[in-house]
Amino acid sequence: MRVLFPIDSARRTDIDAVSADDRYDAVIVGTGISGAIIANELSRAGKRVLVLEAGTGTDRTLSGYEKYLSNFYGASSKDNQSPYPANPNAAMPRSPLLRKLQPGETDSSTYMVQSGPYVTDTTFTRVFGGTTMHWEAKTPRMLPEDFKMRSLFGQGLDWPLGYDELEADYRTAEREIGVSANVEDQAYLGLHFPKDYVFPMKGLPLSYLDKQVARGIDDTRVELCGKSYPIKIRPYPQGRNSIPNPAYDGGKGYVPVGAVNTHQVEEGERCQGNTNCVPLCPVQAKYHSGKTLAKALHTGRVDLLVQAVVSKVVTDPGNGNVTALEVKVYREPQSAEHRTITVKGTIFVIAANAIETPRLMLASGLRDSAGLMGRNLMDHAYLLNWGLMPEVCGTMRGTSCTGGIIDLRAGGFRRHQAAFSVDIHNDGWGWATGAPFSDLTELVDQQNRFGAELRRGLIDRISRQLLLAFMIEVPPTESNRVTVDPQYTDQLGNMRPVVSFTVPEYSMRGAAYAREFSKTVFARLGVADHTRYDPGDYGYVTYEGQGYAIRGGNHIAGTHIMGTDKSNSVVDTDQRSWDHANLYLVGAGSMPTIGTANVTLTLAALCYRSARAMLKQLH
Amino acid sequence: MSAAKTGDASRLDQFLAFSAEVTAFGVVELQGTGQAEAYLQTVDDVVGAALVDELLVLHAKAPRATGNEGRAARGAHLRRTIFGDGKLGPVARNIVKLWYSGVWYELPGAWTETYGPAPQDVTFVVSPSSYVEGLLWTAIGAHPAGAKAPGYGSWAAPPRIPRFADDPVSPPSAEPVDGTVDAERVPA
Ligand SMILES: Cc1cc2nc3c(=O)[nH]c(=O)nc-3n(C[C@H](O)[C@H](O)[C@H](O)COP(=O)(O)OP(=O)(O)OC[C@H]3O[C@@H](n4cnc5c(N)ncnc54)[C@H](O)[C@@H]3O)c2cc1C
Ligand code: SF4
Repeated sequence: MRVLFPIDSARRTDIDAVSADDRYDAVIVGTGISGAIIANELSRAGKRVLVLEAGTGTDRTLSGYEKYLSNFYGASSKDNQSPYPANPNAAMPRSPLLRKLQPGETDSSTYMVQSGPYVTDTTFTRVFGGTTMHWEAKTPRMLPEDFKMRSLFGQGLDWPLGYDELEADYRTAEREIGVSANVEDQAYLGLHFPKDYVFPMKGLPLSYLDKQVARGIDDTRVELCGKSYPIKIRPYPQGRNSIPNPAYDGGKGYVPVGAVNTHQVEEGERCQGNTNCVPLCPVQAKYHSGKTLAKALHTGRVDLLVQAVVSKVVTDPGNGNVTALEVKVYREPQSAEHRTITVKGTIFVIAANAIETPRLMLASGLRDSAGLMGRNLMDHAYLLNWGLMPEVCGTMRGTSCTGGIIDLRAGGFRRHQAAFSVDIHNDGWGWATGAPFSDLTELVDQQNRFGAELRRGLIDRISRQLLLAFMIEVPPTESNRVTVDPQYTDQLGNMRPVVSFTVPEYSMRGAAYAREFSKTVFARLGVADHTRYDPGDYGYVTYEGQGYAIRGGNHIAGTHIMGTDKSNSVVDTDQRSWDHANLYLVGAGSMPTIGTANVTLTLAALCYRSARAMLKQLH
Repeated sequence: MSAAKTGDASRLDQFLAFSAEVTAFGVVELQGTGQAEAYLQTVDDVVGAALVDELLVLHAKAPRATGNEGRAARGAHLRRTIFGDGKLGPVARNIVKLWYSGVWYELPGAWTETYGPAPQDVTFVVSPSSYVEGLLWTAIGAHPAGAKAPGYGSWAAPPRIPRFADDPVSPPSAEPVDGTVDAERVPA
């Protein structure tokens, strides 16, 4: 399907007109998937919407998108933010800048102030399109039991909603993102779908590497807390285009959305296997929120202001309602020169992500009845395990990840330790060691190889790589939090987020088991284990005498959790603020737990629910 | 300093001959990347054309090799004279890495202290196209992350690792030493 951005959508919104306008039905902060879905739903229902985006908006043109790509090719450090130029007015976390903290130390040298003790390399992207510009696009649903962690396992919190109440919205989100998967692969551990449901597109095939692992472990079992669990390799659902399923929507089929900023038909469409989904899909086969925003902009009822950093939420001290947003509109990223305007509307939606939303709320100094704003920060804890397969498996081909092990996402052991899902990384050891470049330098510089010995050495060393990434559940903990502090500000004078985080023991028990589980899998496969956790690693955590390098999961959540009343939560089940009746805080920040599902499909489903509530409120 | 020299065909040929030997890719394949001039220019710019000439001349003088024993002897000679040389070794290794990755890696501190200064010696990607043309990807039967995509579903098939001359684990290839030997790559 050709959905293109309207010509000139980039700068047509006039600042003076926006600040003089008081007839917006909704003002939305952020162009990530949350903001995009709300903007699309409201505008299509006839509402006038203003969208504010802190980042630059260059990628609405093809040349802007291609510039990101050449930034990436040209970057000598290919970290996951490398396509996006530094923007001190809308800064974002960058992992290569991190360092280990001494006890009690705070590191404010990077945008996201790390007050420890754990240093997280989690990131988000502040550009037009938000973090979906560089997400990996794995789209599993949460399991039914994930919504009832407190009552079933005595851990974390229960949601005020259940799987069944969210199921229809999950389907809507799967349509919008364009999920490729097969129901027969995804109906497990209580996940259920309506009869005859099919995903919009067919599941992506497992990689050759996945299949080699499957050969060694499928239908074997592991023992955990007195129970035996079968394990096997299973494909993940993905937000990237494959082959449309003709049976979709009762036989109407599905038309995938390709690139939204080019007229060339060969761009977009089907996933080509670039192995570069993170940080940027060159052909836009992967969903990004620009695909939803393009549709919203076509309604003609959406104004978009980029380079507009919302700095303060202003409320009526009497009834608590939001009256306006204070916005700093800057001229260019490198200069602090800006104009401050205020914008008005009937309802306000903050969709700035689970770090930036509470940051903005806290910086605005607003009422916080439950005292939970910014607390319960969650993010999956990743533990990497890597080794060499006995034979060449063609590593470094395919999407970042096609398959993994999900059998330990659920089970009675969750009373005692965290669940996890396991990804097989088609890009080998890249995440752990910087492969394949680190392999090249090692073979040339340390092993003194050149010529045919080098070439064979590279095949031997890279094409056999196996990396298992364990995505470990992290329960809500009030002391894990985002705060602000007037001593830490950015170029525009906005307070920066300050993160304090300790990986909970519950999760570390899961991590310790994950390490043992890997050893078992490696033994079954005949994999030579190369896993090593460096005590100097910024994410190094010791648990029961063993050290583990824990990576951030990029699945930030929980900082404005949803609950049953204003004493136990920040928002209600529609993501509406208990304290400010015309304010919605949307995104993963509303989630009381995250289980072992990458958060975006769930937060997207929640946004559909919220959009209905907003439309009701606007009537 | 060296634009004229880089343009000098025989010097470029010498550079290609050296590169082919140390990468185990054929001259034709190296030329096919379109990077040869840019790489020679890069090395000239960072360490100076005189040093590059010294390396190329030594390489040209190395004894011809025939058969397995000859190759071993020639390899040993290259190690003693070039790769094991304090001045030339790190530069030779950098040329290998350049071809394989498109990246110039900063030379070891000890090299710069002794043979420097080399003000342009920092780690950098020669150009966006050099990243895409890195030989690493071809060698392992893959493609550069983010470019030259092999097509939907290609990842499900076994890898087709191109054959190459003198592969220590394969039977000697019937293909010409200097040709494109990756004829058995996955069809698009
Ligand atoms: C490397 C990586 C891989 C990932 N992989 C997956 C995956 O496989 N599956 C999955 O489910 N999730 C994944 N995620 C997470 C996923 O990307 C996020 O959950 C999702 O994109 C969040 O969407 P959002 O709209 O809530 O926030 P964002 O996309 O972060 O959007 C927030 C927007 O608000 C803007 N903004 C922020 N502050 C202000 C302000 N003050 N004023 C104006 N605008 C502002 C930002 O610029 C941004 O555009 C991944 C994330 C990363 C980083
Ligand atoms: S594998 Fe490639 S084409 Fe497919 S989604 Fe990822 S980057 Fe895009």
